[in-house]
Amino acid sequence: MKRQTVCEDWEKDLILYYYGDCSVEEQERVETHLKGCPSCSSFLTDLRTLLPLTVESEEPPQAFWESYSREMRKKLGEVKQSGAWWKGFPGFLHPWPVPAMATALILLLAVTLTFSKGWWRSQNLPPEEEVLLEILPMAENLEFFRAMDFLDSMDFLEALEGQRIRSETNKQVL
Amino acid sequence: MQTNRPAELGDDELVALAQRGEREAFELLVERYKQKAYRIAFNFTHDREEAKDLSQEAFLRAFIHLKGFNLRASFYTWFYRILVNLCLDYRRRRGRIAWQPLDDKAEKAANGSEMTGATSSPDRDAMAEEIWRKVGLALDALPSKQRTAFILRNHQGLSITEIANVMRTAEGTVKAHLHRAVVALRQRLEEVLE
Repeated sequence: MKRQTVCEDWEKDLILYYYGDCSVEEQERVETHLKGCPSCSSFLTDLRTLLPLTVESEEPPQAFWESYSREMRKKLGEVKQSGAWWKGFPGFLHPWPVPAMATALILLLAVTLTFSKGWWRSQNLPPEEEVLLEILPMAENLEFFRAMDFLDSMDFLEALEGQRIRSETNKQVL
Repeated sequence: MQTNRPAELGDDELVALAQRGEREAFELLVERYKQKAYRIAFNFTHDREEAKDLSQEAFLRAFIHLKGFNLRASFYTWFYRILVNLCLDYRRRRGRIAWQPLDDKAEKAANGSEMTGATSSPDRDAMAEEIWRKVGLALDALPSKQRTAFILRNHQGLSITEIANVMRTAEGTVKAHLHRAVVALRQRLEEVLE
């Protein structure tokens, strides 16, 4: 048999009414509606029959609770003991020491690299090779400078040629 | 000078003592909430040993993180939140649960089935078992948020406000979850009502 359909607008209110989760005014409003609505009354009866059936009444014996408390005391004791060594550790991971330590490390690295650069070089290379090492990058750029000189010469020649043509044209006009 | 016995102290006072390192104060909180905690876990697991382990684990986690607990909130709401999250994790790991009626549950269901007209004891037991299995499956089929709201309201009697605090959601959302859960259960258990 198909069960009666509850008024859709009242369904939520009826559930809250069943659990006693509505205000006095809402309660009165629901009760007034129930008087004139058999389908909503039937819905409420269903809730009163069905919902208590879903509750599991699990009642373990007294011995269970005694053993529960005993186990809990033991576990709590172990947590406190094992917790002793790591308790200070989370404090170390507070937000401020991490960036502070990272900054210090970067500074230390920068200082070490800056000051050790000259030291390592003077330790490993003779002075003449050191001079060579400084000249080498300039020598690598020599080709570039030569090309630049060539382009400058081309410009100069073109300018001379232009000047020559202009003077010849002026002579012809005169 | 007024001196209270520890057992008479309120939750906040016990929490404050436990935060200062007095383990006995926390043990009193365990004594105060162990039955409720166990029953909530049992509602999710339907297994006595699992319910015991989960509720004890929740107490241990509460104890470990107690120093981070803000006394402006209520201890049991905070503790229930830990417990419910553990239970939901358990459900995610375990999947569906085999619903076998315990003796007292079968009896309770049998009382509910008296309206069906069953008279003989073996028939009644079989029917009770069947009802309980259907109830279990219907509960199991609910989405986790609906099931949580339903268990906390229907089984544990928490108020809508308390459930909203435990589930960290709005009261309107809890009402909506509860509404959907009840409607779904009524639909799935229609034959139990006939």
